[in-house]
Amino acid sequence: MTANVPEAGAPTAVPVAPDGEWLRVHPASPFVRGWVALAAIGFFFGRDFFERLLQGRPLFEEDFAGRAPWLVAGGGIVLVVTVLGFILTWYFTKYQVAEGYVRVNSGFLFRQQRQARLDRVQAIDIVQPLLARIFGLAELKFEVADAGESAVKLAYLRMDDARQLRATILARAAGVVPDPARPQEAAPEAPEYPVLSVPPSRLIGSLLLSEQSFFVVVGGIASVILSVVTDNRGFFFYLIPAVLGLAASYWGSFNKGYNFTAAISPDGIRLRYGLLDTQAQTLPPGRVQALKVAQSPLWRIFGWYRIQVNVAGYGAVGSNGETASRTTLLPVGKLPDVMSMLALVLPDPGTPEPGRIFAAGISGLDSDGGFVTTPHRGRFLAPLGWRRNGFATTDTALLLRSGRWWRELVVVPHQRTQSMALHQGPLARRFGVADLVLHTTAGPVSPRLTQAGLDEARALFDAQSARARLARKRQTSEHWLATVVPAPVVEPAPVVEPVETPVVESVETSAPQQTPQQEGPQRG
Amino acid sequence: MRTEAIDPPGINWQRVSPKYVTVRLVQWAIGNLVTVIVLTLPLISVLLGWWRWPPLWLAITVPAVTLVLAIWRLLLIPRQVRAIGYAERDDDLLIRGGIFFQRTMTVPYGRMQYVDIGVGPVERGLGLCTLKLHTASPGTNATIPGLPAAEGARLREQLAARGEARLAGL
Repeated sequence: MTANVPEAGAPTAVPVAPDGEWLRVHPASPFVRGWVALAAIGFFFGRDFFERLLQGRPLFEEDFAGRAPWLVAGGGIVLVVTVLGFILTWYFTKYQVAEGYVRVNSGFLFRQQRQARLDRVQAIDIVQPLLARIFGLAELKFEVADAGESAVKLAYLRMDDARQLRATILARAAGVVPDPARPQEAAPEAPEYPVLSVPPSRLIGSLLLSEQSFFVVVGGIASVILSVVTDNRGFFFYLIPAVLGLAASYWGSFNKGYNFTAAISPDGIRLRYGLLDTQAQTLPPGRVQALKVAQSPLWRIFGWYRIQVNVAGYGAVGSNGETASRTTLLPVGKLPDVMSMLALVLPDPGTPEPGRIFAAGISGLDSDGGFVTTPHRGRFLAPLGWRRNGFATTDTALLLRSGRWWRELVVVPHQRTQSMALHQGPLARRFGVADLVLHTTAGPVSPRLTQAGLDEARALFDAQSARARLARKRQTSEHWLATVVPAPVVEPAPVVEPVETPVVESVETSAPQQTPQQEGPQRG
Repeated sequence: MRTEAIDPPGINWQRVSPKYVTVRLVQWAIGNLVTVIVLTLPLISVLLGWWRWPPLWLAITVPAVTLVLAIWRLLLIPRQVRAIGYAERDDDLLIRGGIFFQRTMTVPYGRMQYVDIGVGPVERGLGLCTLKLHTASPGTNATIPGLPAAEGARLREQLAARGEARLAGL
């Protein structure tokens, strides 16, 4: 793709920013970003011309000669102003990576200077919309924990530069000090080890078996019945907008989820996906605040699961589909895939037999895997779910299980718990149960333990406070190379095929009879 | 204060100022009395013969039910205020509230991002303030209303100092 890069004497030709040097984004970027404006100008002034062309009329009216100078002048002025605006925007947008900060200055009338601490990075995304992809450009998004707009957005850089900058930022954020002898040298890009990919057939299958499809089928049957009963075909026309909307929605999901691959590198988890617009996310170690494994009843046929995560920088899932896809760690996967992803997110599961406990959390009932469920007296409050609603703890994470039909398993690492609350309404008091709510950063996962026995809930409330306190003490540095948790740099190899790697660390030895696919959540 | 069932045992709860009842009364009056008065307007119109709809029984029932609910809420206010409590522990702040729908929340000092003190017009007249804790989670809805101003300032300083000592990353 880089072959198509317009030749320009861009400052970005310098491969790496040495510390302190201010760089500009690629000169073509305002045009790539503002092509809609250019297209609008072209449409406005060229419409008449094209209509005549299509209608076969003469291209120029008789009095065209009189109007031509005005048209040309007007169009020219608008075009020049727009292009000048583009050039000024480009000229005044500069970025710098230095002294533990990334800084971006932008705007020429209203100037904005923004800086973000590198060690506060929550995620780095490289986004390529279709047009930028054609030109070999990419947008870099640097997220810090304000759950709002991206802290730093650089659009667009050449793809190689974007990846290089990502590597530099991640290396600095991890605590790699640049070699003082050669400060100019680029941080090497961390090696990647692919973990899993989602084949397109499974993605299509998952879309066809979604709840949305269920309602489409039900709606279709209902409208056929209605049309037969009322003998009226007219209202099929009202379905056209609905069909268009559905097609757009399916296409959006397909476009976003196509070719989903996950990989692990010392910098963290790498996710890539997208058909026309591609996106590459990097989640540094320990940035996942909470995780949810979910399975709808239709997906149970093929044993598919979806994983969603809360990451501080991504924010809540709003109306736009972008956050929804960014917070999806696995759009659709089988149990071994789920286990591999759990292993990536939770390198240290904190239990000698992670496979059994996580499998019990995903599909188990009652006290499988050490889960504590709703007491028998509370079964009237949740006649279906009471055997599933429950929790289990490991040394590093709290597992909350719920849902008999819509199965869910929520995993919250202890050091990520923000605050907690016990809730109890009058009905729950009557049955001697209580809910425990864990508060994490904004996102699609909202951990809640429903209808736990009162004594168990209170004990968990106390114990969880203590565990979170201990975990916070252990995790002191934002530089993940410096944390007590051994960095994956040392041994990334086992993650290549975590499904089949039998032993990574000593924790596994106690359960040799496990099936290989249950051995996912180990450190790696 | 009576320790409720869901609270951790052995906590010495701090109460909020009894004057906070007045603040809640003003809030109650603004919210409920206005509603009741607005809902009574159709009744008056029907009684005076201006309107033919709604029927009399409906015109009476709606404001009457609203009034009963409002009075029920009014009677609950003193107990609700007494139910609010907070306790500073070594590593976290406990906040409780509610009579029927109880909630006990713990906010670790190291998780606090910032502390707000808000004072409304009625609170200012009574020398009270409302303290609000913020963590990185929007779900942390930790508010202690009705603190005496001096206690609020002390608590804020205390929380800030403890938060700094135990500050953790996200």
